[in-house]
Amino acid sequence: MTVNPALEINGVHLSLGHGAGRTHILKGIDLSIATGESVGLVGPSGSGKSTLLMVMAGLERADKGTVKAAGQELGTMNEDELARFRGQNVGIIFQSFHLVPNMTALENVAVPLELSGDPQAFDRAREELEAVGLAHRLNHYPTQLSGGEQQRVAVARALVTNPEIIIADEPTGNLDESTGEQIVELMFLAQQRKNATLVLVTHNPALADRCQRKIRVHSGTIEEETPAVREVRAR
Amino acid sequence: MSPTNSNGYKPGIGLAARFALREMRGGLKGFYVFIACIALGVAAIAGVSSFSRALTEGIASEGQVILGGDLSFTLVHREATPDQLAYLQSTGEVSEIASLRAMARTQTAGNQTLVEMKAVDDHYPLTGDFELDSGQNLQTVINARTDGLRNAVAEIALLARLGLEVGDQIAVGQTQFHIADTIELEPDKLSSGMTVGPRLLVSQAALQDTGLIQPGSLVNYSYRVRIGENTPEDELQQVIDQANDQFPNAGWRIRSKLEAAPSLQRNIQRFAQFLTLIGITSLVVGGVGVANAVRSYMDTRREVIASFKCLGASGGFVFKVYLIQMMVLATIGIVIGMVLGALIPLIAMAALQSILPVDGVQAVYPLQLLTGMAYGYLTALAFALWPLGRAHDIAPTVLFRDEVSTRNRYPKPLYIAGAALTLLLLAGLALVMSYDKTIAIIFIGACAGTYLLLLGVARLIMAAARRVPTVHSTELRLAVTNIYRPGALTPSVVLSLGLGLSLLVTLALIDGNLRRDLNRTAEEQAPSFFFVDIQDSERDAFQSFIEQNAPGSDFVSVPMLRGTLVSLKGIPAADYPAPPGAEWVLRGDRGITYSDALPETSTITAGEWWPADYSGEPLVSFADENARELGLNIGDMVTVNVLGRQISAKIANFRTVNWESMSINFVMIFSPNTFAGAPHAHLATVGWPGETTLQQELDLLSKVTQAFPTVTSIRVKDAIEQINEIVNQLAWAIRGASSITLLASVLVLAGALAAGHQSRIYDAVILKTLGATRRRLIKAYILEYLILGGSTAIFALFAGSLAAYFIITGVMGGTFTLLPVTVVTSIIGALVFTVGFGLLGTWRVLGEKPAPVLRNL
Repeated sequence: MTVNPALEINGVHLSLGHGAGRTHILKGIDLSIATGESVGLVGPSGSGKSTLLMVMAGLERADKGTVKAAGQELGTMNEDELARFRGQNVGIIFQSFHLVPNMTALENVAVPLELSGDPQAFDRAREELEAVGLAHRLNHYPTQLSGGEQQRVAVARALVTNPEIIIADEPTGNLDESTGEQIVELMFLAQQRKNATLVLVTHNPALADRCQRKIRVHSGTIEEETPAVREVRAR
Repeated sequence: MSPTNSNGYKPGIGLAARFALREMRGGLKGFYVFIACIALGVAAIAGVSSFSRALTEGIASEGQVILGGDLSFTLVHREATPDQLAYLQSTGEVSEIASLRAMARTQTAGNQTLVEMKAVDDHYPLTGDFELDSGQNLQTVINARTDGLRNAVAEIALLARLGLEVGDQIAVGQTQFHIADTIELEPDKLSSGMTVGPRLLVSQAALQDTGLIQPGSLVNYSYRVRIGENTPEDELQQVIDQANDQFPNAGWRIRSKLEAAPSLQRNIQRFAQFLTLIGITSLVVGGVGVANAVRSYMDTRREVIASFKCLGASGGFVFKVYLIQMMVLATIGIVIGMVLGALIPLIAMAALQSILPVDGVQAVYPLQLLTGMAYGYLTALAFALWPLGRAHDIAPTVLFRDEVSTRNRYPKPLYIAGAALTLLLLAGLALVMSYDKTIAIIFIGACAGTYLLLLGVARLIMAAARRVPTVHSTELRLAVTNIYRPGALTPSVVLSLGLGLSLLVTLALIDGNLRRDLNRTAEEQAPSFFFVDIQDSERDAFQSFIEQNAPGSDFVSVPMLRGTLVSLKGIPAADYPAPPGAEWVLRGDRGITYSDALPETSTITAGEWWPADYSGEPLVSFADENARELGLNIGDMVTVNVLGRQISAKIANFRTVNWESMSINFVMIFSPNTFAGAPHAHLATVGWPGETTLQQELDLLSKVTQAFPTVTSIRVKDAIEQINEIVNQLAWAIRGASSITLLASVLVLAGALAAGHQSRIYDAVILKTLGATRRRLIKAYILEYLILGGSTAIFALFAGSLAAYFIITGVMGGTFTLLPVTVVTSIIGALVFTVGFGLLGTWRVLGEKPAPVLRNL
């Protein structure tokens, strides 16, 4: 039985900037990630890993090549279709949390559900917050929460729509070590619980090692994959 | 298949509103300027229009009292015929009033003044109460005699002018009067229109004694009719129609209580329109503040917007969320503006009670408030759409990497079109609501032109600053870079201050030029006196008298009749399509004359003047400018009613008339045979070439009044002084209104400074860390504000002068002079304003200590 890939990237090139400042960032990326798989993208700053993450989420359009996520071709969608696609299929966790400051934790988590017209938005958001251990912080605003709590809210928000794909950009980068550990634990548990595909960018070798695959990006190309990757492929 | 269709849901306006309200939990911080700008403009517009409505309503509700009855029938030169009077008496109670201008003099030689004389019958006043200071009944007083002299009652101003007291005597024409009382309240005073002297009120019998009533004398006979209480409009119209049917040649002017003081109502509307246009300017200036506030706010929301987009929101949804917020904020400003707008008439009526011609009706005028609201929403939309449109395109990737701000990118064409359409609607509303469309179009064009030019000027200043070669002075270098760096104050200062200052320069130059023209004409061209009501029989004697007593003076006299214009080209005057600038020719009485020769100061522009002994079909010469405005052609027929006769004449020629010369000018001059045998008086002017002294003029005035008591003398300088006083009052009102525009500029500047506050603190702290003292920073800021204020002032000087030039030469037909004092004052004002205000705004920045700021960077 062949595993249906959650993400399939073929021959992707991407340049950013204008005129003389234009930089060729992704230089022919081919990558396939199976459903339920966890992948860590590592590499030096400026290597293109965050850009690759954005291409996977439909946040950035490839100049060349194809990107297929959750079974859908992203290259043919317009901006609004991509936005709705993300709302339903992709959960994103940021290094700086990016919660809406004037909304409570509950409201922040409910946003993607409300945008997709879920009448149970607040009930589901409450359940998700309870699952990340924030039942007692539902009506708190981001400024009233610690960094770890804010990132829990962000995780709940990313997971609440039961997305097929979760992407995380340096999810522990702004947290101390122990809080970071807790968030990582939470993220992987949730991924397994929901059988979602997790792709994360990190500079933290320990975090990358927890993934089933570790991909090293260098100068816009995939330089190296860990043995674990080969194991997955062999399977 | 599109992924959007998986559940078919598209977030709607309800969800956008929910998100918007959540976003607004942060409070109104950062939006005070936005709200104040909208509130100020709405308050100005709603206030001005409510105030003018309160006054016109006041006139309307008091119409019967102001007019002195339900209907008024006015004749010039002659009384109503017995048939006409009988008809009027058959419709209701009638009161007859005669009024004229005359010279009143005291027994002391050389003490005389022009008075508005009014003779009333026993029925006066039909409506309202006439009050004397003593509380006595008017008729009891004026029908009595004291020491054998007829009694008269006067306005207190007349006694003050002649140094008299109640009980003293005063002579008018050939009669000596005893001043028995002073007038406390004359209910129908407003219906008289513009008055040139204080009131003297006598009985009708007393007026006959004065000898002022001669054939052709300029006397108005007014018959007020009271039909009943609350007579409906259609019944009044029935009486008017019947009167016109029965007496088609009566030549009377009929007014109903619904238009008791039409010229006052028109002037109020005209002035209100002008002030409303200034109010719109303040809204447009405030619009810059709105745009700045929205742009600054959207800059702070970039990450939130990007988050929404990452979570599935479309660009259109994001736009809706922030548009709703802006409209909520606009609503707050509009409500404040409407409340202030509703209060303004009440405050103005209380404050201006002593100078207002009529009591306004204290009420809330919803239509006027709604007009202000419409202006407020359109302005908020027009200026917010552009920066809001940019929110549509904020990329979600800003959450992953620092990106160059989208603030200078153009929004999608849809939003640009939306902003343009809203601006058009704003202009359309201003046009529809205006009294004089031409002025409104000129204003809108000038406003739009200045705005676009200012945008260009701002870019030019920034581009020039960018190209300035590196200078050695650190302060100057800092000032220059501050002018063009992203988020610079330049566009805000140039747009808001430039627009306000251009308006100020325009108004100041128009005001200054008008006064200069008026006074220069008085000194150089205008005669010293107008003498009215010189009887045909005494004309030659009068001329000899002047030649004897004012040697070296120029004496000009013309026959003078008053008449009404009945029709032009066969179209009744009331129905004739006339532009607002030419309406006055068709309204009321016109002075009419005849002459066998073209006046010396005129030239023929079309047609030919009639021969000296012409005796054919009556001909008329029409003033060229008025003829053009009214669309008349040579050969068209003009019908006038003079002394109850309708006379038709063919237009033989058009001639130039220099209205500004203040000499004898007529719209229509007829061929002499037209009025053969008609009784008439003469109008004369007397002037000296070169300068005259006050004493010289007063001497002649005194002698003429003694020798020709029935001739009315008008000293031109007195009249000009009166006009100057009116111009003065209007100028103050206009300056007051335009200061609202400057206040809007202050708000915009305050907003711009507040928005740039953080980056200024950052700059100041970094520079301090690097060793810059506060003194150097102050110098740099002063230089920056000086450059900005100076360049804006120079532009405003050009734009304002150009606008004033076009208005004075094109619309008003005057001559334009650049008035350096006015111009320099405005430049200095602008500099003091920008530098002072800028420094005030940045003072706190200079005091910031580096350490706390650096720790939080």
